Amino acid sequence: MAEPAILQAAPPVAVLARDQAEWYKDAVIYQLHIKAFADSNDDGIGDFRGLTDKLDYVKDLGVNTIWLLPFYPSPLRDDGYDVADYREVNPSYGTRADFQHFVREAHRRELRVITELIVNHTSDQHPWFQAARRAPKGSPKRNFYVWSDDPQKYGGTRIIFTDTEKSNWAWDDVAQAFYWHRFFSHQPDLNFDNPQVRKAIFRVMRFWLDMGVDGFRLDAIPYLVEREGTNNENLPETHVLLKEFRALVDASYPNVLLLAEANQWPEDVREYFGDGDECQMAYHFPLMPRMYMAIAQEDRHPVTEIMQQTPEIPANCQWAIFLRNHDELTLEMVTSKERDYMYQMYASDPRARINIGIRRRLAPLLENDINRIKLMNSLLLSMPGSPIVYYGDEIGMGDNIYLGDRDGVRTPMQWRPERNGGFSRADPQRLYLQPIMDPIYGYESVNVEAQLREPSSLLHWTRRMLAVRKSFLSFGRGTLTFLKPGNRKILAYIREYADEVVLCVANLARTAQPVELDLAPFKGRVPVELMGRTPFPPIGDLPYLLTLAGHGFLWFRLATGADIPEWHDERLARDELPVVVLFDGWASLFRERVVPWRIALAEKGRAQLERDVLPGFVAGSRWYASKGNIVKRVALVDYVEWRQGGSAWLMAIASVETEHGEPQTYNLPLMLAWEADDERLRALLPSTVAKVRQQAKVGVMADVFADEAFCQAVVAAMRAGTEMKTSKGRLRFSATAAFAQLAGDAIDTLAVTPLAAQSSNTVVVLGERLFLKAYRRLQPGVNPEAEIGRYLTDVAGFANSVPVAGTIDYFADDGQVATLGLLQGFVENQGDGWTMTLNYLERFLEDMVATDAVPPAGGSPHGGYLALMGALGTRTAELHVALSRATADPAFAPVPITAADVTAWARRAHAEAVSTLDALQRAQPSLPERARHAAAAVQAARAQILANIDAQAAMRGGGARMRIHGDYHLGQVLVTQNDFVIADFEGEPARTLTERRDKQSPMKDVAGMLRSFDYAMYAALRRIDGEAADVQAGRRARGVAWLAETRAAYLASYDAVAIAGGLVASGAAQNLLALFLLEKVMYELTYELANRPDWVDIPLQGLLEMLQRSG
Amino acid sequence: MTDEMQIMLEPIRASLHQVGEFLPRVMLAIAIVIVGWLLAKALRFACVRMLRAINFNIVTEKAGIDRFLQQGGGEMDTVGLLGVLVFWLVLLASVMVAFNTLDLAYVTQLVGRVVLFVPKIIVAVLILAFGAYFAHFVGAAVTSYCQSLDMEDAVMLGHVALYAIMAFVVLIALEQLGLGDIIRQTFLIIVAAIGLALALAFGIGGAKRAGEVLERWSHRPGDDARAPGEGPTLR
Repeated sequence: MAEPAILQAAPPVAVLARDQAEWYKDAVIYQLHIKAFADSNDDGIGDFRGLTDKLDYVKDLGVNTIWLLPFYPSPLRDDGYDVADYREVNPSYGTRADFQHFVREAHRRELRVITELIVNHTSDQHPWFQAARRAPKGSPKRNFYVWSDDPQKYGGTRIIFTDTEKSNWAWDDVAQAFYWHRFFSHQPDLNFDNPQVRKAIFRVMRFWLDMGVDGFRLDAIPYLVEREGTNNENLPETHVLLKEFRALVDASYPNVLLLAEANQWPEDVREYFGDGDECQMAYHFPLMPRMYMAIAQEDRHPVTEIMQQTPEIPANCQWAIFLRNHDELTLEMVTSKERDYMYQMYASDPRARINIGIRRRLAPLLENDINRIKLMNSLLLSMPGSPIVYYGDEIGMGDNIYLGDRDGVRTPMQWRPERNGGFSRADPQRLYLQPIMDPIYGYESVNVEAQLREPSSLLHWTRRMLAVRKSFLSFGRGTLTFLKPGNRKILAYIREYADEVVLCVANLARTAQPVELDLAPFKGRVPVELMGRTPFPPIGDLPYLLTLAGHGFLWFRLATGADIPEWHDERLARDELPVVVLFDGWASLFRERVVPWRIALAEKGRAQLERDVLPGFVAGSRWYASKGNIVKRVALVDYVEWRQGGSAWLMAIASVETEHGEPQTYNLPLMLAWEADDERLRALLPSTVAKVRQQAKVGVMADVFADEAFCQAVVAAMRAGTEMKTSKGRLRFSATAAFAQLAGDAIDTLAVTPLAAQSSNTVVVLGERLFLKAYRRLQPGVNPEAEIGRYLTDVAGFANSVPVAGTIDYFADDGQVATLGLLQGFVENQGDGWTMTLNYLERFLEDMVATDAVPPAGGSPHGGYLALMGALGTRTAELHVALSRATADPAFAPVPITAADVTAWARRAHAEAVSTLDALQRAQPSLPERARHAAAAVQAARAQILANIDAQAAMRGGGARMRIHGDYHLGQVLVTQNDFVIADFEGEPARTLTERRDKQSPMKDVAGMLRSFDYAMYAALRRIDGEAADVQAGRRARGVAWLAETRAAYLASYDAVAIAGGLVASGAAQNLLALFLLEKVMYELTYELANRPDWVDIPLQGLLEMLQRSG
Repeated sequence: MTDEMQIMLEPIRASLHQVGEFLPRVMLAIAIVIVGWLLAKALRFACVRMLRAINFNIVTEKAGIDRFLQQGGGEMDTVGLLGVLVFWLVLLASVMVAFNTLDLAYVTQLVGRVVLFVPKIIVAVLILAFGAYFAHFVGAAVTSYCQSLDMEDAVMLGHVALYAIMAFVVLIALEQLGLGDIIRQTFLIIVAAIGLALALAFGIGGAKRAGEVLERWSHRPGDDARAPGEGPTLR
């Protein structure tokens, strides 16, 4: 069961605010029988105390309204709809005090309560009837009911219960007259033409409203008034009466819901809304059977047709929709042909039929097919209106068609696999009805306890669905627009409310179905699947293609600002590509490479390329670093034309001149492809720079990494050690000692696959063997990734880093060097540590709340994950040991950390802390709400933070200063079969190459990884945000526990290897780690303040926690 | 001093006198050659720079002359060659002037004829360069035109055009060098022979084969291809 401890800890909500207008629009209603739900006194009949005990279950289900079936004193000949006393609680169910207590408890859980107002008729046991039959004819007391001496009166009226009743009139011996009854003969109809009846009924309403009830379901509302010559349904007088009721209620009890039960066609039901001055809600009866029909026929038509026939309703009104209820599945609102079809599909056993309908529960109707049950529920929850869930259907309860009337769907709720299904401790024979006991639906197999334990149960699924539905107002309030895809087995519709757009797609067929949706109005939006929050590729010009499993459904939020999936590669051409005219291949663009009479033409072409063509391409490329800074010119500063086979590639170094700031140097190799091969040109579209024409030939100029032959040629050039003279320098392709082993022999046949997910570099994979990474933004100096990679591969022989096979280096004549590309061994991996951790945490945190599972005693729930983190610690330490080996290479030889080093580091950390805290101070007013409190706490601790840093300055040195990873976090380690491979030795991108190559304490890497764990936890919590505060708090507590365990596991394995490797002297290391953690968190704070103020609370929390630990 | 001595010394004196008179002229001649050499170097440098500045080297590169020159094993391209020619022209001119100062008329005349020949070489080189560029241009145009007609022998026809023009260019260059006559006559004989051979071949022996070749050349793509939409479609 739920978390009562947490719930009780929450501040008590007084009485639920009545002032929330239109609350019923966002309602999800849970319909239940008192007698069937829970029995507290073990008399075999459920009661209010039992229900009150189970309120947490109802609350946790995710509904927000409870609809109680009649609980009044009654002879129970029509399941309580024959009321014998309007103002009392049936003693079997408890007392009025019990009811009041229940309402209070429900309101405390933000659950509203709707009760039945059965005013069309009473029981013949009701004192009013007893008085009426004895009162003289024509007296007001007698006129409480409708009497006649002629059983032929109102002859045009149909009989509802055709199975049991022959006439709407019944003879009363005492009164010596016929009385009118639309329902059973023991339910005489009240006479609403009598003003005293109206007054009496209104007094009843006041009575229950004073008890705290939030709304009434008006039973059998079309039959209130009788007039000769009509069919006595939906009479205008009835509407006058309802308006009167509503006005009276509104006068003293605002926002009380009146829900009309009018089993009529939509156009007739529409009348019950009036002009928003009758009932706020009414059942949409015809929709229900049509949802069943749609999946039976595997065609969307029944649903789309009925929704098109559904009239608009006043703005303050809402439909109530349902799949099943306490009555039979009524087939009055379908044509006779459709009825036959429904009987055949859903009630082949005649015993399942009753009146004009089917007396079965949801699960048996759908043959207990979990996919169909889910599909039907998804339709219910996403169609316009407030859905009603019938008790027991959330766990897939069964029915008993061998019971009389509709009792088969009113059996006790199945709580546990024990006697009476945990509903009551009474002797089984005492129960008001036997619980279901068959092998499929019996309480031993279908019960709440089992389903709470099982994360994949229908109950958990329902909870998740309701949680998702709650986060989007569109479901309750949005407009409905059907899409009309060609595949008729697909029902697709858009729900829109304000800026929120939700797309629902359901496959009505048993088999998998494709669908192409016309989502043109939402072009550019990113569909985010609601259950898993997974972004789908953005909506483009083409119809949106989806594939759904049999009876599958998908809900999407069509988001405007969401991130598109990382792996998605936009394959649409840029709107209009410019055309560059060439006359002699690449040479046409260089004045020194053309014949004299074409110099002017070459200069013009070059200017066009540099000013009009390349800026658009560069600015639109993912690797362009200064997004938003307009590119004015892309000047080709150095180049060489590389011809091989039939291809001519231009290896170009470009200087990108932008509106603001210094020009930046980029690596911009290009290719030309001619139109001979259309397929190829299309494939090149994403990396196309411009169209080109040379005389009659047309083609494209594209980024060279799209060319398979080029990538292979690069590898071959590395093997050959090719050098090329450029116009102002030279290019050198070189291989490492590991090249032969990594690349193998068949270089020419390596298949080339571009990787789209990269941002600042361009990356292609060659035949699952090699990984060619082209740096785009060039910084002068030795690239640490190439340098460290070569060192680890060739010198240190460290197996758990990505091995380097070769490099492309550029040496300018003026002495500048730059690395243009790096060839690495391809590491078969399962994604990086960050994604893995985030997915793990998300799953863990969601599952924990969903199942309320208790972690296994004595062990950690994270066993497997912690073992992985242990491995990560080991690999980190091994990396540091490898980098700290004595060597003659001055770039790598470790040096001891001196006291002066420590002082310098502390001083730098101090300076950075001061500037960060100042920035925080300035940003304080604009911070998001949740960060403001933490920011204030950090400001208050300013002195302590600085003192902590300064305290480190006095520390001795110790340990080695050496080359380190430099930008170490979970995103830089690749998961490979329960081990890690360390990648990306580029260092912090914001620093210069010289700074990145500085020797540092290895503790800096460790600090980076520890902070990364912190970030992972908060990021995971954010991703699954949107639940109640108590759930969030519970998740957070579990997250913090995870964090502590993960850190401990990581550090323990790190220490073990590092100490054995003589890397750290543990005392000094501790202090350095603390210093670097502080420095790192300050860096993060600066970064978040500048870039993502919404994330500022993560480093702030980290900082506060550090202060706490340091005391 | 005796008369004999006088007589014996007289020739020496006379020759010394002659030497005394001749030596400054020799010095002058040497000076002229040195200045000429310096001037020649400067002009070679200027000429090469100028030709490169106007991308003349690209013309010769495209014309294939540079490749031809470098096939011989040298490093020099056409622009370098022209530079060398200019260098020698100026140097030889200065040598000629120097000899003239020495009143060595015959040598001067001899050198003069060499000097006059150098510009002819320069002009011949220029003719070759532009002519070859033109030949390549026409050859490429013929090839791409024929390719656009999908003729199978497009490359071959391009080469025919290229080499035909090249032959005339070479003839003109040789003419320029004054070596024209015999080669021109030889060339004409060869052309006539080829013409006669072709006429005989077409007319008598290979009429059928020639017809086939012509048929192939005039063959257009799509002649026997089905018009789009006519053929059977699979649906």
